[in-house]
Amino acid sequence: MRPEQLPTDPDVDLHVARQRVELRRGTASLLATIAAGGVIGATARYTLSLAWPHQPGEFPWSTFVTNVSGCLLIGVLMVLITEAWTAHRLIRPFLGVGMLGGYTTFSTYAVDIQQAVAAGHPRVALLYLAGTLAAALAAVYTGIIIARLLTGLHPRRKEHR
Amino acid sequence: MKLEGPAARLTIFVGEDDTWQHKPLYHEIVHRAHAAGLAGASVLRGIEGYGASSRVHTTRILSLSEDLPIAVIIVDAEDRIRAFLPQLDELITEGLVIIDPVEVIRYTGRTAG
Amino acid sequence: MTLVLVALGAAFGAPLRYMADRAVQARHDSVFPWGTFTVNVLGSFILGVLIGGAAAGAVPAPLVTLLGTGLCGALSTYSTFGYETIRLFEDGARFYSLLNAGISVAAGLGAAFVGVSVAQAVWP
Repeated sequence: MRPEQLPTDPDVDLHVARQRVELRRGTASLLATIAAGGVIGATARYTLSLAWPHQPGEFPWSTFVTNVSGCLLIGVLMVLITEAWTAHRLIRPFLGVGMLGGYTTFSTYAVDIQQAVAAGHPRVALLYLAGTLAAALAAVYTGIIIARLLTGLHPRRKEHR
Repeated sequence: MKLEGPAARLTIFVGEDDTWQHKPLYHEIVHRAHAAGLAGASVLRGIEGYGASSRVHTTRILSLSEDLPIAVIIVDAEDRIRAFLPQLDELITEGLVIIDPVEVIRYTGRTAG
Repeated sequence: MTLVLVALGAAFGAPLRYMADRAVQARHDSVFPWGTFTVNVLGSFILGVLIGGAAAGAVPAPLVTLLGTGLCGALSTYSTFGYETIRLFEDGARFYSLLNAGISVAAGLGAAFVGVSVAQAVWP
């Protein structure tokens, strides 16, 4: 294929019959899978928030725990399906994009910080801001290392230079 | 089997999610190469790439880490490689198949049953 | 009942995040995960408007549950943000990794503050 014949938009080109087939076969089941995972993740997050409520100005523990645990799990999941095994094509959309994506949230994190500041608790806001970021990133990394160790992979990938 | 000197390397680039009758496509290729008695086959998985459809797949971005690149590498005498190609025609509907000449320095394995 | 509203919102929010991410990623070719950045900033802004509106008594609680907890909660994500940040770091793009963490948090917070302010301006 000559370069000028390449589609300008790398998404599925609906003018090409074969790519239309791919769209029909793949996208509907893919989006439904993501939606199903998202529903499970979000209801789990909501249930945890009901069990562990907080007032503006208090440390939002339930969202903190949700985001950090979700980050640990995404680290484990991505090593398992991209490094250790070859998984079914809907596993990552269901668990990674849908469930963990729906379980963890950035919007509640951001707005809870705003609410804490507005309620006159800037220290809690700052502690929550930095605490979640540090703990979540450490959790992803820990998840990656744990999954590599459990599956017999080298814990640290060779760096690209 | 003895293999040394001039030979051919067949490389087949497909996607991880490509299937043949509900099984991974790369698995079917290896299965057929084995059945054809070819000297050896290896499947390597890539972490980033794009093909004729021009869509980038990468493990770096969660929403793009689908259908990662797979390379199946088969090495044998050129006539045996060429004889195997018709078997690929029905399997590979999209992807890239290339052959390059190589020189085999050593081909040994454990003596197995 | 509220659980159904959360589920309904998430059923749209999660696929919307995927499609928005794909659409953004298709339009640039840098290492930077702009797709996740976009949905997180957007989700933070909308939730800010909803919470600000709810405080003013203009947005009913079920709507906050449906669009805020359900839709925005599923539209935005911390796990994908965390994963993509760590992957940048591991791949040796440490500067971009730290930059992604910094501007995602800064822009998400900014969007939340702006969202609440917009709500306060619209519903005084």
